[in-house]
Amino acid sequence: MLQWLLTWSAVAILAVGAGGCAARQAGSYVERGVDFAQYGTYGWAPPDPLPPVDPRLAENPYFQDYVEGAIQRGLAGKGLGLEPSADPELLIHYHASVTRRIAVDPFDRALGGACYDENCRVRVQEFEAGMLVLDVLDARTGRLVWRGWARHGVADILNNPDRMAARVNEAVAGMLETMPSGAQLTAGASAAERGGPR
Amino acid sequence: MTRRRPAWIAATAVAAAIALAGCAATIQSYVDRTADFATYRSYAWGPPDSFTTGDPRLDNNEFFRNRLRNAADTRFAARGFEKADSEAADLLIHYHVNITQRIDVNELDQKYGYCEDCRPSVYDAGTLTFDLIDARSGRLVWRGWAERGIQGVLERQDWMERQIDEAVMRILARLPRRL
Repeated sequence: MLQWLLTWSAVAILAVGAGGCAARQAGSYVERGVDFAQYGTYGWAPPDPLPPVDPRLAENPYFQDYVEGAIQRGLAGKGLGLEPSADPELLIHYHASVTRRIAVDPFDRALGGACYDENCRVRVQEFEAGMLVLDVLDARTGRLVWRGWARHGVADILNNPDRMAARVNEAVAGMLETMPSGAQLTAGASAAERGGPR
Repeated sequence: MTRRRPAWIAATAVAAAIALAGCAATIQSYVDRTADFATYRSYAWGPPDSFTTGDPRLDNNEFFRNRLRNAADTRFAARGFEKADSEAADLLIHYHVNITQRIDVNELDQKYGYCEDCRPSVYDAGTLTFDLIDARSGRLVWRGWAERGIQGVLERQDWMERQIDEAVMRILARLPRRL
């Protein structure tokens, strides 16, 4: 009985631990209590100085186009329209950064072989991880009301515009999934229906 | 089968301990032995950092900053400190958060044969540091910090907020008592 209890509590702890480690590739933060239905328009603003933008992305005209296009389409889907004139209700900017990271995986296991002795080889790989962060600020107060993020390896997209377009679209769609809807979609809807801030 | 079970239980328990160890926080602090904390009555927040945290999601993240400051304000109030303007405060509070990637090679477990699947792994570790600076002399009088694996913490806002509250509470619990 004690064994059974020990085993299952250990399994439960493991499951909780592992659950915390399942990596998500996109997500968002929101200012609690802000009603997005008050917003209908946005404009582009210059980005924060932090973090530094990777020059391979910053100077890549395809990347800029893809990101800005994906964001504009995504926000239109959320009921927010681009307002190029002086008076938008929201200001948005994004930054794309690249960091070097390490991944480890056991070499023999990856090839389908089992290894039990201490000579099991481990493959350590360095890779470049891209992170796209989109900030949405209330233009009146200057405060951040929403931040979306998405990450993806950049090795396979830097020299392939088609793949870059696809990954950027996924990234932006992924982060906007959890964004509350703005005014043009929410006229006449209740707070619960428009999925406002929890 | 019956005889092998204890080994399996031990292996599972060890694996569970490792899984948890990744999330267990280390809390530490330094104190200036010559500082008299009874003379400090008020505090103010110093300017935020102007360098990166190591994770772009946390750079200039107002949600993180506000949650952390609110949690800390509560703890300082509980210790009898009053919030003041930065010109009038006895203490200036500064915090810094830093994220780095670490490698865990599971060497010990391999050596003692606890696990058949002792794979090296990588994880993100976060350090949250509070500095208390004597506003008159400009000297650091106390530093407290928490360090832990933060896998997944930045991915969900509600979880991040709970971890901020807990880390702040545990770090500031180490503040010297004022008589």
